[in-house]
Amino acid sequence: MARRATAWFRLLLRFAVDAIVAQRGRSLLTILGMAIGTASVVGVVSIGLLGREYVVGLIEGVGSNLVFAYGTGRGVNPEEIDFDDVPAFVAAVPGIQAIAPVLRTSELVPIKGETQQVAILGVTPAYEQVRNMVVESGRFFSEREDAQGAKVCVLSEDLAIELFGSTYPPDASLRLFGLRFRIVGVFREGVESAAAVQKSEAAGLAALIPFATFRNLSDLRYVDVVYIQSATPQAVPGVVRGVTDIITARHREISNFKIESLDQYLVLAQRVSRAVTLGLIAISAVSLLVGGIGIMNIMLVTVTERTSDIGIRLALGAGQRAIMVQFLLEAAILSLVGGVLGVILGAGVPFYVGWLYGVAVPVSGLSVTVAFTVSVAVGLFFGFYPARKAASMNIVDALGYA
Amino acid sequence: MTGAPEPVIELSAIRKTYTKDAAIVHALRGIDLTIKAGEFTAIMGRSGSGKSTLLHIIGLLDAEYQGSYRFNGTPVEDRSPDALAQRRNRDIGFVFQSFHLLPQLTILENAALPALYAGDRSADECREVARERLREMGLLARLDHKPMELSNGQRQRAAIARALVNAPRLLLADEPTGALDSKTADEILEIMLELHRGGATLIMVTHDREVAEVAERTIHILDGQTSNGMV
Ligand SMILES: Nc1ncnc2c1ncn2[C@@H]1O[C@H](COP(=O)(O)OP(=O)(O)O)[C@@H](O)[C@H]1O
Ligand SMILES: [Mg+2]
Repeated sequence: MARRATAWFRLLLRFAVDAIVAQRGRSLLTILGMAIGTASVVGVVSIGLLGREYVVGLIEGVGSNLVFAYGTGRGVNPEEIDFDDVPAFVAAVPGIQAIAPVLRTSELVPIKGETQQVAILGVTPAYEQVRNMVVESGRFFSEREDAQGAKVCVLSEDLAIELFGSTYPPDASLRLFGLRFRIVGVFREGVESAAAVQKSEAAGLAALIPFATFRNLSDLRYVDVVYIQSATPQAVPGVVRGVTDIITARHREISNFKIESLDQYLVLAQRVSRAVTLGLIAISAVSLLVGGIGIMNIMLVTVTERTSDIGIRLALGAGQRAIMVQFLLEAAILSLVGGVLGVILGAGVPFYVGWLYGVAVPVSGLSVTVAFTVSVAVGLFFGFYPARKAASMNIVDALGYA
Repeated sequence: MTGAPEPVIELSAIRKTYTKDAAIVHALRGIDLTIKAGEFTAIMGRSGSGKSTLLHIIGLLDAEYQGSYRFNGTPVEDRSPDALAQRRNRDIGFVFQSFHLLPQLTILENAALPALYAGDRSADECREVARERLREMGLLARLDHKPMELSNGQRQRAAIARALVNAPRLLLADEPTGALDSKTADEILEIMLELHRGGATLIMVTHDREVAEVAERTIHILDGQTSNGMV
């Protein structure tokens, strides 16, 4: 029984394919319409995913489990985050993996005959890892140098280029706080996108010196910002709460500070990009719909043209069901082939562009599956009416049709 | 099959009305007709008298009529379109005046079509049977030709092969020689008569008195009614 049904189906499939091949020009145009519809759906989803990946990548590059606390009342309100808050965070808040307080000032430094403002940041060695810094040449300063208050510094790439061009000479030094600081390395920010998400204190002309050295040489009491890396992204909200509680407890209520994490931006970015992608899918689905209407149109013309063919088949004892299935298969094949071409096109173009620009382009497996399913469904849906028209023809009239 | 043969076709009070642009044509006005297995019945009558209409109803091609029709003892009116299609496919072979071959298929594919739609033999077996029928019709050298490439006589023989491929008990022919020259017409008629001699129930619409002479029964149709008298 099953074998018989299979043979029956294969017979109708053959008739359907024969008819498509016999009208190849028209079939190709119909397929093209479907292909464009499917390609736009797949392409749009790829673009949406790419946008999402870009934004998420920016945020994750900076660190999605990074929490930062900073004062907002510098110079006006003395009640800011101070040195002693930092050990308190580590002691009282669970889930903190690393912490990097930053002291900050600036100095005018003579560069190529003119003076320029250079940011001086006092940081602990943990800063390198927490802030995702890449040491371009030389090295970062060590825990020991920090503990000893050593007069060493690491320059931002911009500053190094301003001072020395491409490479800096060995044993070069820089005058800061009226003292000679030995230059031990050059850094750049590991993720260039950091500045896009949040203004970086280490951007532009900057020199990093050990935290302890900074404390010894400056009477600055308040930290500019404290970077806190939570152990896991899940721990971020707990860390934010804990740090907030401690600052509130240790300072007067008028204290001005802000605690932020990139976590919240991540969720927001994902939500926005999902909404945008869905919107784009809805728009491109219209072209899929147009493709489907194209199929219905062609199938209606085909049914009319093949009236006598249908009449003969019915007269010879092809059931209405056989005629119906044959025409549904024709519509489904046209839209499936269109769907396959569309997926190749819709996925291939982003892949090619990605390959050209060296970007990994995401092609959603889901969107490919959905595009296939939807294109076949479109074919069946829009093929139904013409197929039923073919199957329910009056046989005698169809035979007499010239 | 001893004793009286079974009635294959039992028509009673069959009426058929066409409505075309508010004009009503009474194509059949109450036909009563019983045809037994193995009979050769000729249907004669002027053009427009309703012969084709009657044959279409007998052949289960037209289910829109009034009256009652029992085919092989079963009322036709109760059957679904697909059930009627199956009876057309297995029990009835049609031969039309204008052949009605599918132009895009070869003669072999055309002849195999009813067997393929029947679905109880493999495609190879269907083609084998079709080949055999075409061989009997003298078309063995033409199997892979399209109908366009054949003469009218060859086309009609291919159509007969197709009608026979499922070995139906009933053969219906609507002016099968209408489009043929007289020599070819005689060949086709001889084939039809040979089939009848082989045991087939045959109903043929014809204008040829000589054919009617050969037939066991001749039914005259006049304005949609049977007239049992002469002429
Ligand atoms: N599809 C149709 N629509 C309207 N009238 C029709 C149709 N088919 C046949 N007729 C009319 O029915 C009558 C019988 O036709 P038909 O059975 O073809 O006659 P015959 O085969 O004896 O020449 C004729 O008057 C014809 O004009
Ligand atoms: Mg006629």
